[in-house]
Amino acid sequence: MKVYKFDKPGLEAWIKKWSETAPVFYPAPDASENCGIHPGWGKMTEVVLPQSSGPAKSSLKTFYFPQPEVLATSSLKKNDDDGLLLTEPAPVVEKQVVFGVRPCDGRSVELNNLPYAEEKLFQQNRERTVLVGFSCSEPKSTCFCQATGGSPYGIDGLDILISRQDDHFLAEIITDKGAKLAENGLIDAGSEEIAILEKLRRENAGNNDKGEKLKEKDLSSLYNASFWNRVSDSCLNCGACTFLCPTCYCFDIQDEVLHGRGQRIRYWDSCMFPLYTLHTTGHNPRGLKVQRVRNRFMHKLKNFPDRFGPLSCVGCGRCVVECPVNIDIREVMDDLLAVE
Amino acid sequence: MTDKTWEPKIIAFLCTWCSYAGADLAGVSRFQYPPNIRIVKVPCSGRISPNLILNALRTGADGVLVSGCHPGDCHYISGNYFARRRFALFENLLEFIGIEPDRVNFSWVSASEGEQFAEIVKDVTARVKELGPATHLVKKFNEAA
Amino acid sequence: MATINSKISEEIRALAGKLLEEKKIAAFLGYCQGSLPMTARPFVARTPEDTDKLIWNSFCVLNLANYLPELLKSLEPPRGPRDPAPEGPLPKVAILATGCWSRNIVIQIQENQVDRDRVVICGVGSRGMVAQAKVKELFDGREILEVIEEDHKLLVSGNGFNEEINRWNVVRDNCLTCIHPDPVIFDIRIGDEAGQRKNDNRFAEVEKIDNKSTAERSRWFTDEFASCIRCYACRNACPLCYCPTCFVDDAKPQWVGKSIDQVDTSIFHILRAYHCAGRCTDCGSCESVCPMGINMRILTKKLTSDVLNLYGSEAGMALDAPLPLTTYRQDDPQNFIITEQAADKEGE
Repeated sequence: MKVYKFDKPGLEAWIKKWSETAPVFYPAPDASENCGIHPGWGKMTEVVLPQSSGPAKSSLKTFYFPQPEVLATSSLKKNDDDGLLLTEPAPVVEKQVVFGVRPCDGRSVELNNLPYAEEKLFQQNRERTVLVGFSCSEPKSTCFCQATGGSPYGIDGLDILISRQDDHFLAEIITDKGAKLAENGLIDAGSEEIAILEKLRRENAGNNDKGEKLKEKDLSSLYNASFWNRVSDSCLNCGACTFLCPTCYCFDIQDEVLHGRGQRIRYWDSCMFPLYTLHTTGHNPRGLKVQRVRNRFMHKLKNFPDRFGPLSCVGCGRCVVECPVNIDIREVMDDLLAVE
Repeated sequence: MTDKTWEPKIIAFLCTWCSYAGADLAGVSRFQYPPNIRIVKVPCSGRISPNLILNALRTGADGVLVSGCHPGDCHYISGNYFARRRFALFENLLEFIGIEPDRVNFSWVSASEGEQFAEIVKDVTARVKELGPATHLVKKFNEAA
Repeated sequence: MATINSKISEEIRALAGKLLEEKKIAAFLGYCQGSLPMTARPFVARTPEDTDKLIWNSFCVLNLANYLPELLKSLEPPRGPRDPAPEGPLPKVAILATGCWSRNIVIQIQENQVDRDRVVICGVGSRGMVAQAKVKELFDGREILEVIEEDHKLLVSGNGFNEEINRWNVVRDNCLTCIHPDPVIFDIRIGDEAGQRKNDNRFAEVEKIDNKSTAERSRWFTDEFASCIRCYACRNACPLCYCPTCFVDDAKPQWVGKSIDQVDTSIFHILRAYHCAGRCTDCGSCESVCPMGINMRILTKKLTSDVLNLYGSEAGMALDAPLPLTTYRQDDPQNFIITEQAADKEGE
C-alpha cells in the first residue's frame, strides 16, 4: 500500500484536480449546497476539508441506492420501439468521487455488499464510485464504531484514506481505483509517519464482542423480551432512523406513468412503515408498532449477523442523534445482551 | 411568450348541477369559447380536493378552473360553502409557495349562465396564456436516467 | 436548588404514582430522561414503579397528544372490526398537556379520535421549549456533552468549554410566537399558570415570505424543501395525522410519487400542511423532529394566519367551537372567486 504525504495546500490542490475529470461530492454543511438527488451532499467547487470527527449528516448510501433509481422504462404506445416493453436503461458508468467519507460509512458499503453481492445496479454504482475517506481523530460521544467491529482509522470499503497528522496529511492508497487518482508526482510519506498511523490503528481497533455474544443468544427469547414494549411506546414509526442509516438498504418499487411513458423506479422504503409489510389481502404480519420496532433492531443486531457475520450497524450514531424521540440503539443492544 | 403557437391546457372541474349545465347551455346556445379547457364533471364543487388540483398541475395542466353553483344554490345545500373556505385557504397557500395566482382559478356559474361561462373560459385562457407554460409542480421524468 | 421544572417533575411523579396506585388510570403519558444532552423521551408509565422515571424540562418538544389515540386503542380489549364495542368503562389514560398539546387533545375529541371520558388531562403551563438546533448552532462544531437547565439559563458544557446561555434566546420559534401557553382544558393542574404571553406580531415570519415576489417565493420554497428525504417524521410526529392510510401511501390513484423527486416532495409538503388547515396549533413537533432541519412549520403557520384573518377562529380553543373547515358562514370572504371579482368591478 502506497502512502503519500501532503501539506494542506498540497492536499487541496490534489483534491481539486480530481474535479476536472469527475464530479467530486462532499458532505455539505449547509442545505443550500445540496446537490439535488443526494440530499446532504454537495458537489465540490471549493475544497472543504471535513472537521475532525463525526459522520456527515446524510449517509453514503445515497450514492449506492440513489432515489429514484430507474429500473426500467416503457412506452404505453404500441407502435413505439419500446411500446409495452420494459426496457432497461443504459448502464451508468461515469466515475464519481466522494470525498470526506468517514471510515464508518466506508464500512457500510462493505456490509451492504453482503446482501447485494449479485445486485446489478448496486455493483454498477460501486464500480463507478471512488471513496476517499477521512479518518476520525476525535470521535464524537455518539460514535460507537469500535463496538460494532469498525475503527476510526478503518479502511474497509474505502479507496483512499486521508489522516491528519499534526500539520500535514497522510493519504493511504488502498485500492486500484484509488491508485488512479494518485498517479503522478506525489511525495511518499516517511516510515516514521506511517508507523504512527499504524500504531493509532492498532490502538483503536474495533471488536465485535457484543455482536458475538448476541449471536449466541437464543432468537426466540430475544424476540419475546418484554423491553420491546417500552422501546416502541416512544417510537413514532417514522423513517428518520432507517433513511439516515448507512446500512439500512430496503427499497420499494413503483411504476410511475406520465404522458404515455412509464417508469419503474426504486426508492427507499422503511420497515418502520406499516405499508412495508402490508399484503394485498389486507393482512399485515407486522401490523403493530412494537413488531416493526422489534424487527428493525432484530434485523440489525441478530438476523443479519446470524446470516452474514457482522452486525448490520457501523456505529455512526446518526439514528441516535437524529431520532425524534431519542431511541438509542446502544441501549437496545445492552437490553438485548441483558436478556437471559 | 415567444412561442406564439403555444396553447395552454386547462383542466376545468365543473359541478354537474350548475357549472356543467352552464357549459352545456353555452354549447347549445352556440357561444364560442377557446378549446383549451378539458372538462371534468364532478358531483359538487365540495368534492374538489386540493389533491385533484395539484394532480392536474403535476401531470401537465397549465391552468386549472374550478367552478360550482353560486352560494345558496348548491344542489346539496351547503357543498359550495364548505368548498369556498377550502379553496380560499388553498389558493392563498399556493400563492405563498410561489405559484402564480392566475394558474388556479375559482368561479361560480349557474345553469342559466351559458354566456358567462364562455366569458370565463375566455378570461381564464387569456390569463394562463399570459403566464406561459406551467413550470412549478410539474412532474417530469429525469431524461438522463 | 429546586428549579421550576424540577418542582413540576416532582408533582408529575407524585400525581402519576397516585393515579396508577389508585387504579384510576391504566397508563400515564409523560416524558423520561433521554440518553443525550437536550433530549427527553416520550414515556408511558404503566405501574407506580415506572413513575420514578417521569421528568419535565425544556426539551419536551414532541407533542404527546400524538400518542393518545393509539395508546387508548391499545388499551381496549382486542376485537374485530365488526364486533360491538365492549361494555362498561374502558381503561383511562392520563396525559401531560401544555397549551398547544391541550388544544390538540380538544381537536382529537372533536374529531372523535379520543373519548373525553377516557383521558385525564394534566395541564402544565408551558414556559416555551428549547430548540436543540438553536443551541447547537451557538456552539458551531463543538460537541455539547452536558446541558444543565436552570430557570432562566442553560449551562452548556463540552470538551474544554463551559458556558452559560440565556434560555429564552434558544426557545423554539413557535413558542416565541405563542400566545396560549396555558392549557385550555385540563382536569388537574400541575405547577403554576403560565399566563398569557403578549406578542405584537405572531405572524412576522409568514409576512416575511408574503412580502417576497412570486418568483422569490417559489425559489425559497424549492430551496427550503430540497433536502427532504421523505422520512415522514413530520407527518408521524403530528397529532393531527392519524389517517389509517396517508395520501402518500395510496398507489391507485397515485396522488404523489414516492421518491425524492422535487415536485413530488413539494406536493407532499403542500398537502401535508393543507390537511392541517384550521387544525394546526403550531406545537412545532414537525419542525423539531425533522432530521434535515427543514422549517416546514411555516406552511401551517401561513394557514393558521389565514384562518384567523378570514374566519376569525383558532383551532382547539374550546370543545364546542367547530373546526373552521367543518363549518361556514354565508358571508365568508370570496373575493378570490373570479366571477365575484368581475361582479365587484361592475358594482363600482
